[in-house]
Amino acid sequence: MGRRWASRFAALLEAPTNPEDVRDIDAVVRGFEASGYALDRALATAVYLLLRLGKPLLIEGHAGVGKTEVAKVLAAFLDAELIRLQCYEGLDINSAVYEWNYQKQLLAIKIHEKSGEEEIFSDGFLLERPLLRAIRAENASPVLLIDEIDRADEAFEAFLLELLSDFQISIPELGTMRALHRPHVVLTSNRTRELSDALKRRCLYHWIDYPDFEKEMQIVRLRVRGVDEKLGGQVVGFVQQVRNLSLSKPPGVAETLDCMQSLLVLGKTRLDLEAAEATLGCIAKSVDDSAKIQAEGIARILSRVAR
Amino acid sequence: MKYSDVIRFCRFLRAKGFSAGVTESIASVESVGALAAVDPEVLRWALRATLSSSKEEWDSFNRLFDAFWNEASREQTRSQGKPKTAPQGFWVMTGEPGSDGRPSEREAATIAGASNCARLKKVDFSGIPQSDQPALDQLAQRLLLQMSWRVSRRRKVAELRGRVDLRRTIRGNISRGGEPVKLRYKDMRLQQARVVILLDVSGSMSIYSMFLLRFAHALHRHFKRADTFVFSTRLVNIGGMLRTRQLAEAMRALTARPADWSGGTRIGGSLQEFCARHARLLSRDTAFIILSDGWDTGDPEVLAAELRSIKDRVRKVIWLNPLLGLQDYKPLTRGMAAALPHVDVFAPAHSLESLLELEKHLGW
Repeated sequence: MGRRWASRFAALLEAPTNPEDVRDIDAVVRGFEASGYALDRALATAVYLLLRLGKPLLIEGHAGVGKTEVAKVLAAFLDAELIRLQCYEGLDINSAVYEWNYQKQLLAIKIHEKSGEEEIFSDGFLLERPLLRAIRAENASPVLLIDEIDRADEAFEAFLLELLSDFQISIPELGTMRALHRPHVVLTSNRTRELSDALKRRCLYHWIDYPDFEKEMQIVRLRVRGVDEKLGGQVVGFVQQVRNLSLSKPPGVAETLDCMQSLLVLGKTRLDLEAAEATLGCIAKSVDDSAKIQAEGIARILSRVAR
Repeated sequence: MKYSDVIRFCRFLRAKGFSAGVTESIASVESVGALAAVDPEVLRWALRATLSSSKEEWDSFNRLFDAFWNEASREQTRSQGKPKTAPQGFWVMTGEPGSDGRPSEREAATIAGASNCARLKKVDFSGIPQSDQPALDQLAQRLLLQMSWRVSRRRKVAELRGRVDLRRTIRGNISRGGEPVKLRYKDMRLQQARVVILLDVSGSMSIYSMFLLRFAHALHRHFKRADTFVFSTRLVNIGGMLRTRQLAEAMRALTARPADWSGGTRIGGSLQEFCARHARLLSRDTAFIILSDGWDTGDPEVLAAELRSIKDRVRKVIWLNPLLGLQDYKPLTRGMAAALPHVDVFAPAHSLESLLELEKHLGW
């Protein structure tokens, strides 16, 4: 019996899931790597500060460099619930914070003819949306991912600002709800528009650039199981060359992984002209881009990789 | 690591144009406090995450970080009079309290001057008769204000009624036993369009540039989200200047500013530069306005291709050409001819009246 407890205790020590247990930056790097995310120490520092200071982290970068992934892996690392709010133009309080269950309210009014306001504006009639759910998390701090905040409009951004400073939401009919456990907030943006200064200033900031060759290889190794080193090197080299071509949508790391996986499915062991042509769709995401790569000459790009 | 040094560093960044305020100073002290072991690189990353808030700041951070701490260490060694073991970076900062960690003026000058290398000309703004200016300004201001009012009113009428607002409908009808007798509607709150203005200031446009700059300034007053760039052979963002200053002051600042005023024109190249650096300004609610006569010394193919890609991303491409006011002007110049298929609105811009016509294109 005692033994079992001891081993459990040891296991607990090994997995620092409580933010207070994350003692240093190396712990963050190790934890993320265990979840399949190759994290450089600069980003690890930012994540560490996010946990330590309780500030939101704003991550910007090109499409497909793993911005969203940071939040997902952070949730896995902390063993916390991941709550995701995908932003879009016209996103409003009703779909981001809460909504009353109107059908249920109407029915309730019908059934109990004289039902008063208090009853139909109570918890049972409330539909939680991501932000309210993050505030009302009961057991531990969840990870709140606010994805592509640049797509939401400015009015929503202003609302978010208020939420991020106080971590409370007021619902007129119910009163103010304060977070029991402050969520760890990660925001991502593709820079399709400038965010307000006030919001940016409230957050820690990190810019994720395209990884260099070594880093991208590390990511490929972590994410694609049983990958051949040579093939991996070829694909990464090829994609990195393509990134230099000033395409309208340069391939991100996600595209590298897609391409890699496609090659494995197709049973290719090396990236020759035929294989590259077959998987071009994984890398070029528009007709113009595809044409641009063809014009540059796939064979030429491949020969540059080989060197 | 002393906190006063961190604060001094924050002030240094602020002087270099970072938006970091007092809140950030406090946050950076907290960040440094949260680090268990002080490793120089980790300190750099922590401060970078805390103090920068955009890609531009992020990019220039490392340079400024090195400049500050290295200079600080140099001054330290100098004041102590022992240059022997030149200590690295901020480690020194833990010592002597008396030393001031600010980089010298010389250092600051090298930082600011790094980008000033293009062939520069200063423009002469005296083209318009001085006596006419106040009257014109007044008129322009009044008319443009009217125009913005009209734009917003028209929008209100057009959108009349949106979707049923279930929430308020139920609330309002509780007294009627929950029967939705009176419907409430959700107002579609449309926001003002975003305006991006590209103003040609090349030689052939010089008699109009002044006038059009006033116009851009007026638009900045009425559109919350407006950005203006001037271009001839390269692109310069003057939005911030127009936003924050009085017109006269902005004009003075602009003449002093490096841009190839009244030089040749590369419209296509400038658009390319715009797409590469400022593409985030292009969105579905953007009106993209080009003020140019279309005399282009660059490749018309590039111009056409760039304009097409811009057109795909914005609501409307408006090309205002001052020459269109001339009686028998035909848009036959190579650049103009290449651009026309990708332009939604092609209109004159030689007088205040013609500029006010823009009103009908800026609504939805």
